[in-house]
Amino acid sequence: MEMPINYNQPLVMHIDLNSCFAIIEQQANPLIRHKPVAVAAYDTPGGAVIASSYEAKALGIKLGVNVREARLLSKDVIVLMPDPAKYRDAHKRFKEVLLNYTNRITPKSIDEFVIDFRGSLAIQRGRSLADIGLEIKQKIKESLGEYVTVNIGIGPNRFLAKTAAGLHKPDGLDVITGEHLKEVYRQLSLIELTGINVHYEARLNVAGIYTPLQFLKADANFLKHQVFHSKLGLDWYLRLRGWEVDDVIWGRKSFGHQYALGQKTADRQQLSQLLMKLCEKTGRRLRSSGHSASGIQLFLRFTNRQYWSKGRDTKAEMYATSDIFLYAQRLLNQAVIPAKVTNIGVAVYGLKSGSPEQLGFFDGTRMDKKSRAEAVDKINDKYGEFTLIPAVMANMDNTILDRIAFGSVRN
Amino acid sequence: MREKINEKVGVVMYFSAEQRRALPHVVSWHGRDYYVGEVGYHHTIREGETLHHIYEVVDKDKTTAFRLNLDTSNLFWTLEVVSDGNAD
Repeated sequence: MEMPINYNQPLVMHIDLNSCFAIIEQQANPLIRHKPVAVAAYDTPGGAVIASSYEAKALGIKLGVNVREARLLSKDVIVLMPDPAKYRDAHKRFKEVLLNYTNRITPKSIDEFVIDFRGSLAIQRGRSLADIGLEIKQKIKESLGEYVTVNIGIGPNRFLAKTAAGLHKPDGLDVITGEHLKEVYRQLSLIELTGINVHYEARLNVAGIYTPLQFLKADANFLKHQVFHSKLGLDWYLRLRGWEVDDVIWGRKSFGHQYALGQKTADRQQLSQLLMKLCEKTGRRLRSSGHSASGIQLFLRFTNRQYWSKGRDTKAEMYATSDIFLYAQRLLNQAVIPAKVTNIGVAVYGLKSGSPEQLGFFDGTRMDKKSRAEAVDKINDKYGEFTLIPAVMANMDNTILDRIAFGSVRN
Repeated sequence: MREKINEKVGVVMYFSAEQRRALPHVVSWHGRDYYVGEVGYHHTIREGETLHHIYEVVDKDKTTAFRLNLDTSNLFWTLEVVSDGNAD
């Protein structure tokens, strides 16, 4: 197989919000603009930084350092807890701006969008994407605030558009075309290519590929059979040449929630309470999406950096929170807990559309559970989350905070 | 320094027909009036069926930032947080 470089007009735009959570906080509070700001999961010393402003990044305060380390790097760093409702609102406004141009928009995460301009009215009117990009930057400022900046990349496929968006951060706007593709690759290392992690880099190195230009020159069959040992090799061959292979829309496969414990514990009763709350959140989302599930996975991470995970298919379909909790608790009972737990997560999979009508053989009628779950959801919709709670959650404070996912924003 | 307050406060709100925006104008807290210089961000949240408007504003002197919450079920204002924009 041999394919040329794609010299077609670049019509894919990638937009990401610079240092998303931190910049929204700086927009909201003008007194912390141009200062080092770190948004951390917790503001206690062990809390992990999940976003930092450009000023903080310049001081070495990057994703993953904890608050203690951040304060050692700079005593002036302003540490804030995340405000998910505000970030969701910003995401919504961001999307509304983009919908003025086309409805072919794919949110890649809370702060990233891909826009496919093929056939859009703006392009038919002869406008250049760079010109549209500058206008979008201005409209985002008008909608979210003057301090908010975005990186925009334009390319013939998603991969090159994202690569372009990363060339001049912050507030960049770059176009990669087939004509100067090699020039861009010459400036980058393998690990700087989106999708190439240290494992793939090692594989490529073993095959004698050390630079993106060598990667580009590699033969399709060589990449498929000698490097990636799968279709991935062909995907990379096409992707690097500007052909689209990433416009696949994956359906939802699971619902889950994870929680980083503020106060780490190995106490099974406390873990059980947290688990109940996670199951309730998971169940609420499962039911509101109109699904039931037939598999469950429990995940635990410990202070000694080890983790434990186990999944199982369930005999009956899960719908009510009590169903999910029952199976999750069984998994928790099987868990070996060698140290205090730092993270706990639960996910349900094997999704089926529609609520289950099938009766569990030994569980009595499941229809009463279904009706009860829906009645509880209705009350919580009206009076707020956790107004009505299962007894196991009694005496819990608002331990599990609202959190925002870094990846999918599908609901 | 950022401090959680969660106290009811007096707020004068101004509606601009031209801009079609309603914004807090004065915040009265602890016997002092703070004139709003800039609204940094405004968004809404729901607690059950109750809609809350969250305004993050800074005073005209640019010394104090306020996070205000308007509960639309009773039109009460709560000052949630104040900040001087410095590290804790």
